[in-house]
Formats: sequence, structure tokens, C-alpha cells
Amino acid sequence: MADLALDPRAELNPTLVQGDATYAGVTDAISVITESKPPKQWYYAMAVAIPLAGLLFFCLGYLVMNGIGVWGNNSPVGWGWDITNFVWWIGIGHAGTLISAILFLFRQKWRTSINRAAEAMTLFAVACAGIYPLFHTGRPWRAAYWLFPMPNELLGMWQNFRSPLMWDVFAVSTYATVSALFWYVGLVPDLATLRDRAKGLRQQIFGILSLGWRGSARQWKHYELAYLILAGLSTPLVLSVHSIVSFDFATSVIPGWHTTIFPPYFVAGAIFSGFAMVITLMVLARWVYNLQHLITIKHLENMCKVILATGMIVGFAYGTEFFIAWYSANQYEKFAFLNRAFGPYAWAYWSMITCNVISPQFFWFKKVRTSIPAMFILAIFINIGMWFERFVIIATSLHRDFLPSSWGYFSPTWVDIGTFVGTIGLFLTLFLLFLRFLPAIAISEVKGVLHNQLVSNKGGH
Amino acid sequence: MAHTHQDSALSRDSYILKPELWQRVRNTLAFAALVGWIALGAGFALNRDQFHFSYLVAFAFCISITLGALFYVQVQHLTGSAWSVTVRRLMETLMRTIPAGLILFIPIAFGIHTVYEWSHASAASDPILQQKAAFLNSTGFIVRGFIVLALWSIWAVRLYSLSRKQDASGSLEFTRSSEKWSAPGVLILFLSASLASFDWIMSLDPHWWSTMFGVYFLAGGAVAFMAVLIAVCLGLRSAGYLSDAINEEHYHDLGKWLFALTVFWAYVTFSQYMLIWYGNLPEEGIWYHRRMVGSWSGFMPLMIIGHFIIPFVTLMPRSSKRNLKMLGFFSGWMLVMHYLDLYWQVMPVLHKTGVAFHWIDLAALVALVSTFGLVFWSGLRERPLVPVGDPRLEQCLGFHNA
Repeated sequence: MADLALDPRAELNPTLVQGDATYAGVTDAISVITESKPPKQWYYAMAVAIPLAGLLFFCLGYLVMNGIGVWGNNSPVGWGWDITNFVWWIGIGHAGTLISAILFLFRQKWRTSINRAAEAMTLFAVACAGIYPLFHTGRPWRAAYWLFPMPNELLGMWQNFRSPLMWDVFAVSTYATVSALFWYVGLVPDLATLRDRAKGLRQQIFGILSLGWRGSARQWKHYELAYLILAGLSTPLVLSVHSIVSFDFATSVIPGWHTTIFPPYFVAGAIFSGFAMVITLMVLARWVYNLQHLITIKHLENMCKVILATGMIVGFAYGTEFFIAWYSANQYEKFAFLNRAFGPYAWAYWSMITCNVISPQFFWFKKVRTSIPAMFILAIFINIGMWFERFVIIATSLHRDFLPSSWGYFSPTWVDIGTFVGTIGLFLTLFLLFLRFLPAIAISEVKGVLHNQLVSNKGGH
Repeated sequence: MAHTHQDSALSRDSYILKPELWQRVRNTLAFAALVGWIALGAGFALNRDQFHFSYLVAFAFCISITLGALFYVQVQHLTGSAWSVTVRRLMETLMRTIPAGLILFIPIAFGIHTVYEWSHASAASDPILQQKAAFLNSTGFIVRGFIVLALWSIWAVRLYSLSRKQDASGSLEFTRSSEKWSAPGVLILFLSASLASFDWIMSLDPHWWSTMFGVYFLAGGAVAFMAVLIAVCLGLRSAGYLSDAINEEHYHDLGKWLFALTVFWAYVTFSQYMLIWYGNLPEEGIWYHRRMVGSWSGFMPLMIIGHFIIPFVTLMPRSSKRNLKMLGFFSGWMLVMHYLDLYWQVMPVLHKTGVAFHWIDLAALVALVSTFGLVFWSGLRERPLVPVGDPRLEQCLGFHNA
């Protein structure tokens, strides 16, 4: 152990904050993003995101004026892009809670540089997801009566508690609430840091937002306990939300939907797509804001490994479903899966397989896991693939009904496309605003990691 | 505090069992095995049907635990886990018992015709089973059984020997090699174990299917494995071993895993049941229907309460996960529950009208558990109880729960 480079302990605990990092340096690198004018790339990105968000509001307005007939949904495909996009966005939202809650409980220290942005992403993704069921009601101002258990004279209706769609309302709203709380609790010490660096109105605003945080030992003790409890509460939510989303399909008796592996398979798929989105966004953010020493290649590599693992679970589920469809010796099950792979939607199915099963295989190689361009491209592929997964599940099981007279083919309208692209615009707009105004990396947590690192560099105690 | 840990890390002798203790336990296990196998032999002669069914339950019970060990060892390597280093050798030794399954599988291969309806002559006139015959046939069953057991054995032997080699040299290359073996290993384990569960248990009701079944099997095995691991640690502790190396902090984490896996098992089991109940299709519901006939109907409430609610509520507080008596009690409790869970999956096929515990059930359980136990125990002879060459050992010894 004379040669430090060969000391296994040093190699097994790679430094998570690189460069000549100091506490002040970490605070500066992160705070300065919110305190100075954004770089020009930020404006370019906004110039794309805002018009797309505008398109969303235009499409939604058009839908409300004309009814949901402006979407491509029609018999036999009564659920089209609306629920595809809903599930896609909810899935993307899962990475944030997994990183902040489950990886916290697993004591994975590398989460500290990415958890804040991933949690913000979660909130924006859930907001985008919520738009679809809300507007699929056609009259969103009455949606509360349909979606929440409020028996009422106005519409004379009593909600059906046996419907998994009803459970979804509870699952998603609980998830959104707990994620927002978790995110905000984590932000408090950093908001106080920004307050202490600011003057005037800015200081007052951050002063109010930081809820009187002074950083006393007692406050830290309460903070850490609150954080642990919220992590414990969020952990079952990571599983429950997408499990219940999967129940929307699996409780039916539609071949291709009614299969028992759906809950864990949907959860794995959600984490898979969520991490792909985190990589997509973080690769860009660290480049624009020069955060390479805080979001290191080790962080990105770990995320690639999570993608590989969850991608394999998704592939495992595809395989199991196909095998059992044959094993069941049930002609409807068999048809549903053969139709998926070789029917009119074969193009979508094989896009899904290419993106979700084949593309993550490249992450077996360390070269690919540590190459920024490669992981960025693969992450985009996975984002696309996971959208196709939901589309394939929804469209292929519906478009050929039990009676051949009820066979059809789903084609999206321009409103479908505009709404989907529009939610991407809204998501990006919100994310860019977050980068601009709030600390995108958890300053206090990174300092905690840096502390361990500085202590062990001195040889421990 | 740190210094005492370091000292115990350096004195390797305390990590090796005293020969007298080793022999005493070995003799007990050998005696149990002898009694078990003689009784089982008598059972074979007296009641062939009961013998094969009882044997299947006991075999599934033991092998699912060793698969839990194989899974966990690989996960520790993949995540670069430090907290678990001092318990990893015990996991590895449990995992190392898998090759015994290659021999112990033979009675199952001979029992196909007794146990599995798809092998009966009547299957030839069953149009559904005809379509499945490419998979559900005796040759395929035996070949697949030996292939999956051989695959698990290769990984188990390999990972164990890498860890043992590291004991001597302490070289990091063995850690890296184990990581390389573990990544494909987990994948192969999932694929092969779910296939095995389809073969061995799901095909008992050959018309029935559930895509979740493999996950259900693995989840149950993982809970039982964690229970065995806790029991072994506590047993060694009571004999005066590893009380520093596996201290309250490590038990706290093992308790968290026991809790988390219990919840995961409940999640999987509930999802499977709920979706089948909700769909209400006769061809799917039949599996549960058969398992609710007569006194079998008591099993589902028992599983909900015993395999989930009681451990869930009791193990939730931090204090109970740090209470070694409590952990010891629940490790035994969960093992009973896992056995009953498998019993309830298999036995209604033989005893269609209600629960009928038989002495051969006990004989098979004693014979197989003590045989796997002997293989396990022989792995602890004159070998360190912790991976003394692991570069993360020091970190693990000084580990504290946040």
C-alpha cells in the first residue's frame, strides 16, 4: 500500500467532487448560476421551449372549444396518445423520487449532485402528465366532479371506487404532493444560502422561502429527521404510482393488458425512462454551466448502470409476456402478441425493441458508459423507446377488437401531435426556469460528501 | 472504538471456528440428515405420492433460499457495498450449497409422473396440454432442471472461489472479477429461476399461467434467505463469534432488508392475486379457487397476516430492527411462513379437499435442510467466517447507520 494509486480503498471510493474543491467553491459554482445573467445557450433553449409551450395552450384551448373529437381517439382505439403521453410523463417522473428517496436509503452518496434537478424534473413531468386525464374529460372545469370522490347534485354522479382510474387520481396526487414536499424540504438550507449571499428584494424573497433557516445544530437535526421520514414515505410511492398506472390496463380482460407481471414491469420501465431523461438533461446542464467537477463522469456512469439494469428488467418482462402468451395456449393471448410483433403496428413494436432492449446493451461497455455523446444519444433512444412501449401496449391491444368488424387503425391528428410536443415545451420551460432561479444542485449535500472526502484525504482520524 | 475494530480485523484466528464446535454442529446435522433420509426412505416405500409432493416442497424451500443467496452476493458486488462485507462470506457459503441441488434434483426427475398432470396419459387427449407439449414434457423438464442448476452452480462456485482467493492475497482484482461475473449472473439468475419456477411449481396446474410467477418465487426465496442469514449470524454470535464484526449496525441493516423484502413479497403476491381476482376469468381464477377449498381457505388469511401484516408492523420501528431477540424470532417466523407459502402452492394438487399435513412432509424437510446445512457447514471448516482479504472490510467494521 506504499503506492497510493494502487491503494484499493482509494480506487473503491472514487472522489465525487473533483478538482480543487472547497466549501466556498461549491457554494459559488452553484449559487452564481442563479445570481448572474444566464449564458446564451439558456436563451436559445428558451426560444425553443416557450413557443412549444404556447402550442400546448393553443391545442388545449382548441380541444376545449371543439371537444375531444379533435384527437384521433375513436372506436376501437378509445385510448390513444392521451394516455400514452400520460404514462410516459408519469414514468419519467419516477427517477426523481428513486434518486432522492431510494438511493438515499441505500446510502448511495453519488445521488447528491443529481437529486435536486431530478426531483424538479419529477414535479414538472407529473404536471405534464396531469394535463392529459384532465383534458380528456373534455370539460376540465368539471373534472373535479369526475376525478375526485365528490358525490354531487350537479352531475348526479357517484364515483366508482372499484375503478383503477380512480385509484390513479389518489396515487398521482399523493405522489405529486409528497415529491413537492420532499423537494422543498431539501431546498430549505440552500435557499438560506442564497438569501445570505443576496441583497434587497432578492434577499427578502429567499428569506421568506427559506422559512427562517439559520443552520443551527438543532435545525439540522430536525431537517435530517424530516428528510429521512420523507424518504421513507416516498419509497413505497415509487412503486405504488406506476403499479396503479399499470392496473389501469391490467385489471381489464383485454389480451396484452391483462397480465400479472405488469406492476413491477411498469415500475422498472418508469425508472428506466426517468434515468434516461435525467441523463438527457444533466449532460446539457453540466455542459452549459460548467459543472463537470460536481456532476462527474462517475455520476453519469452510475446512471448508465441503472439504465442497463432496469432496461434488462424491461426486456425480461417483454420476454416473459411473449413466452407466457404462447404457454397459455389461449388463442386471444397468442393473437395479441403476434399481432403486436407482426401486425400493422410492427413498425412501432420493433422501434420499441430496438430502443428499449437493444440500445441499453451498449452500456455493458465502460467505454460507452463514460462517453458523453454515446450516453446522450442512447438516452434519447430510450426516451423514444419508452414512449413507443406505451403506445404499442395501448394501440395494439385495442385496434383489433374481438370482432373483425371492429378492427381499425389509430392515426394521430395534428392536435394530438401539437399537445404532445407542447408538453415537452412546457416541461423544458419549467426546467429552464428552475435552472435559472433555484440551486440546481443540492449545495449542502454536496458539501457533506466533500467533507468526507477532505477528511479521508488527510488520512482519517 | 475504531481501534478495537481494527484489532479484531487483524487477528484472523477469531474468524475461524474452533474444531470442537465445528464438529459438534456437524455431528448434529449429520444425525438429523441420517434420521431424515431414513424416514424419507420409509416414506418412499409407504406412500409414493406423498413422498414426491413433500419432497418437491422441501426442495423448492431449500433451493429458493440458496437462490436468494446467489442473488444477494451478486448484488453486493454490483453495488460495491461496504456494510455487508462481514456477512458476505456467510451468504457466499449458503450460495455455495447450490451444486448439491444437482444431486437432490434427481428424486424430482423420478417423480414427474406422480406429480405433474401434464405427464399423464390423459394429457394426450387434452387439446390445451397438446399445445403446450413442446414445453411441458418429461425430457424438457429434466434437461431444463439440470441446465438451470448447472448454471447456478457455475456462478456459485466461481464467485465463492474468487472471494476465497482474495482471503489470501487481498488483491483488488478479485473484487473486479466478481463484479464482472455478477452482472450477467443476475440476468441469468432471473431468467433461469423464473423458468424453473414455471417448471417446478406453476406447471402443477398445467392449464394455468401467470407472468408474475417467477418474481413471486424469487421474492419468497429472498425473504427466506435473509431470514436464514440472520439466523446464522445470531447462531454464531451466541457461540461467541463475530460479535464485533457483525454488530448492532449490521443487524439493523439486515433487519431493514428482512422488512423490505417482506413488503416486496406482499406487493408481488397482492398484485398477482388482485389482477386475477379483478379479471375474474375462470381459467385464471381456478388456481386460487383450488387453493381455497375446505381447510385450504385458511391459508390466504394466514399469509396476509403472518407473512405480511405481523412482520410489517413489528419490524417497522428502528428499535425492533436493532433488537436481536426480535430479529431472531422473525427470522424463524418468516421461514415457517415461506414453507407454508410453498406448501400452499404445491399441496392442494395432491390433497384436493383440504390441508392434510403428513409426517413425510417433516421427513423431507429435515432431510433436505440438514443436507444443505451439512454442505453449508462444511464450507465453514477451518476457513475464515468473513472475507478477510476484502478491501472494504475495514470500512465495514467501522460502519454506522446514519
